[in-house]
Amino acid sequence: MWFDEMGEIFEMFKGSFPLSFLFFVPILIIISPVSPVNAAQEFGVYRMQHYDLQGTSYGSKNSIINMEARSVNSKMLTRRCAVAKLQDVTMPKYRDLMTQNAASLLIILPKNLNNLSLDEKQLLQSLEQELLQEPSSVPVYFTTESEYLDDIYLDVQEGNSGDNAPTAWEALLSSASANGFQLVISGSPAEALPDFEIANIQGRLSGYGIEEQLPTIVITAHYDAMGIAPALSYGVDSNGSGVILLLELARLFSKLFTNSRTHAKYNLVFLLSGGGKFNYQGSKKWIEDNFEAAEGNILSDVAFVLCLDTVGATNNLNLHVSKPPKEDSPGGQLYQHIEDVAKEHFPEVKVGMVHKKINLADEMLAWEHERFSIKRMLAFTLSHLDTHKSPDRTTILDTREKVSAAVISRNAQHIAEALARQIYNLTSQGSFQMFTDTLSVEESVVTAWLDYFASEPKAAQLLKADSELIMTLEQMMARYLKDVRKTSIKADKRDPEFVFYTGADYVMNAYNVKPAVFDLFLALCIAGYLALAYLCAQNFHIIYYALKLTVIPVSPKSKVN
Amino acid sequence: MTFFHFGNCVALAYVPYVIVYKCSGLAEYSAFWKCVQAGGAYLFTQLCKMLLLATFFPSTETATGGLDITGEFLKSTVDIADLVGLHIVMSKFAGKGQLKFMIAGMGWATAELIVTRFLPLWMGARGVEFDWKYIQMSFDSNISLIHHISVAMLVWLYSRSDLQKSSLPIVVTLLGLACYRPLIVEILMQAVGLGSWMLLLAKAGFTSVVALISLQMYLSIPSQGSNSYY
Repeated sequence: MWFDEMGEIFEMFKGSFPLSFLFFVPILIIISPVSPVNAAQEFGVYRMQHYDLQGTSYGSKNSIINMEARSVNSKMLTRRCAVAKLQDVTMPKYRDLMTQNAASLLIILPKNLNNLSLDEKQLLQSLEQELLQEPSSVPVYFTTESEYLDDIYLDVQEGNSGDNAPTAWEALLSSASANGFQLVISGSPAEALPDFEIANIQGRLSGYGIEEQLPTIVITAHYDAMGIAPALSYGVDSNGSGVILLLELARLFSKLFTNSRTHAKYNLVFLLSGGGKFNYQGSKKWIEDNFEAAEGNILSDVAFVLCLDTVGATNNLNLHVSKPPKEDSPGGQLYQHIEDVAKEHFPEVKVGMVHKKINLADEMLAWEHERFSIKRMLAFTLSHLDTHKSPDRTTILDTREKVSAAVISRNAQHIAEALARQIYNLTSQGSFQMFTDTLSVEESVVTAWLDYFASEPKAAQLLKADSELIMTLEQMMARYLKDVRKTSIKADKRDPEFVFYTGADYVMNAYNVKPAVFDLFLALCIAGYLALAYLCAQNFHIIYYALKLTVIPVSPKSKVN
Repeated sequence: MTFFHFGNCVALAYVPYVIVYKCSGLAEYSAFWKCVQAGGAYLFTQLCKMLLLATFFPSTETATGGLDITGEFLKSTVDIADLVGLHIVMSKFAGKGQLKFMIAGMGWATAELIVTRFLPLWMGARGVEFDWKYIQMSFDSNISLIHHISVAMLVWLYSRSDLQKSSLPIVVTLLGLACYRPLIVEILMQAVGLGSWMLLLAKAGFTSVVALISLQMYLSIPSQGSNSYY
């Protein structure tokens, strides 16, 4: 009978208590559920850039974190997540962390990046540049400050003191009283997106006459943004301002081109290119496609290509060229017009020309116009920056506050005037201003666009070809221009020029945990408490007797055991 | 936290029960089966209470956070059923004399411990997150052991005919207090804003005062003077 056998088994356990204990504990441990569900706190974190470009990978490869939080200054960082505020992190510190085998890094950014001092901004920008260049497999996350995160930061700082305590006993005490945090990123790890599509949007305004025989002016701006964390890259100045300026130009010239009296003998092509921060993948592909196209070749007779990049702040306007244009070439004329318009109508604007040769040995092109210049087209970039090395184009500091709608409106007016002088050959007209009254740039529209661009991150990997922003841009282009087309680019399967990865933002859970030593302490305390309870129960008769004395006088008959 | 932490909590919650069982002499009377019966009675009483609550006290939809005193009061009133249940246990099942209320209280408290405390501990104390509330819960179960034993004692006292007439109102008051304890705790939490540790301390103090008073009254019964549960 199995019943008897059961009895035997019970007998076995009855015989030796420690043995049976050893028998049951592992079973209990195995069947006990570990539920990470009921987290006390969760917050959004933004992962550092992660992409491959032309065979080199940039940024941090891993994304999953499940480890204890430590202060950046603590000595033991192996297999732990370093938690730091922005001001704690410098490049030497980062390298130090890497040599210490820190398993991940969480950087707490201040709530409002614009309140940083100039030095801190510079620090952040140089950090962004260098972090990106440093290849690593350590996940780096950014998050914005909150009350809870401050608490974690302080607790983690305090826990740090344990490592530096003078005696072992103090170290033990402080580690038992410390508040630890387990940081867990839930979600799927970052995966490559081999089928990612970058969208180019082009539209055109045909000139008056036989279209094929007219010279073409290409106006282009890339729409994506770049920063250390894709989900924090709003890129309002670079290159939201360029996109807005392009849209304004499209609107103004579409008005002119629909009126037969002002229909110019130039074709205008507008291009919003994607992947601009990734070595101008969008314009590269666009040029290739249009060069190869046998018929309807837009690039057969290009007067010049005007690239708009970062035009939303300061009173500077710099024309970046890879070869100084001759005075009588269309490029030279346009520059002359820009200078004239500035002199006549916008005296506060400082116009300059910056000459930088294309360095073919360099992996990354400096400006978008170089893509066109390589193909022997006259091209230049208009920007308020005076060098391509400026970190302002690739920073998370590029937010709405950096840009002024007034400046963009003024620049739009400025460039529209200069372009109109070029197109209509208005050199002899003196200080005639064309874009006034109904043709003027509307600052309210520019403001609305700026607010829209500032409302969501615009990193290239977040803007799929069918994302809302692309759709909106396409619709806007279609409103003003003819022949609006969206083309998407995919990286080559075998030898991809660019690979993007998923996982720009994650939710991080912070669990309040205690070190193992704390459990030991707790066990000792509980054992003490239980011993006390046992003593009380054993000697309950003393209390009993004492109470009895208060109730009735002890009679000789009563006996107490 | 770790399995070790769970072990800590369980030890804190359960070992006092074992200590009381062993030391109060229940073990010697082999009252284990009686305790189990009392526990069964506890489960049955809870079922009746739930039926009663579900039938006659429809859930009031108050905004969360606010204190619905009348609703809570009515719910606590239903807890009188606990007292009736304890009385039935003592009059029907439990053994002789003064062992009665020990058995009833023990069984009652143990059943409550197993039914209401084990699963939360199992699920919660094993979680990654550390929280003091599981340790507090374990302490609370120790307090409710004393509470249940003293309530059982009071019920037993109430049913005695040789209780001094003067102490009858005290017994009734204490029974009422014990019955409306959750309500009082709730009001305390809302009004004074006691922290969880202070609340635990207050509970412990309150319960031990009730226990001491009832013990004293128990001792004042002449016939009990001679043989106690020791």
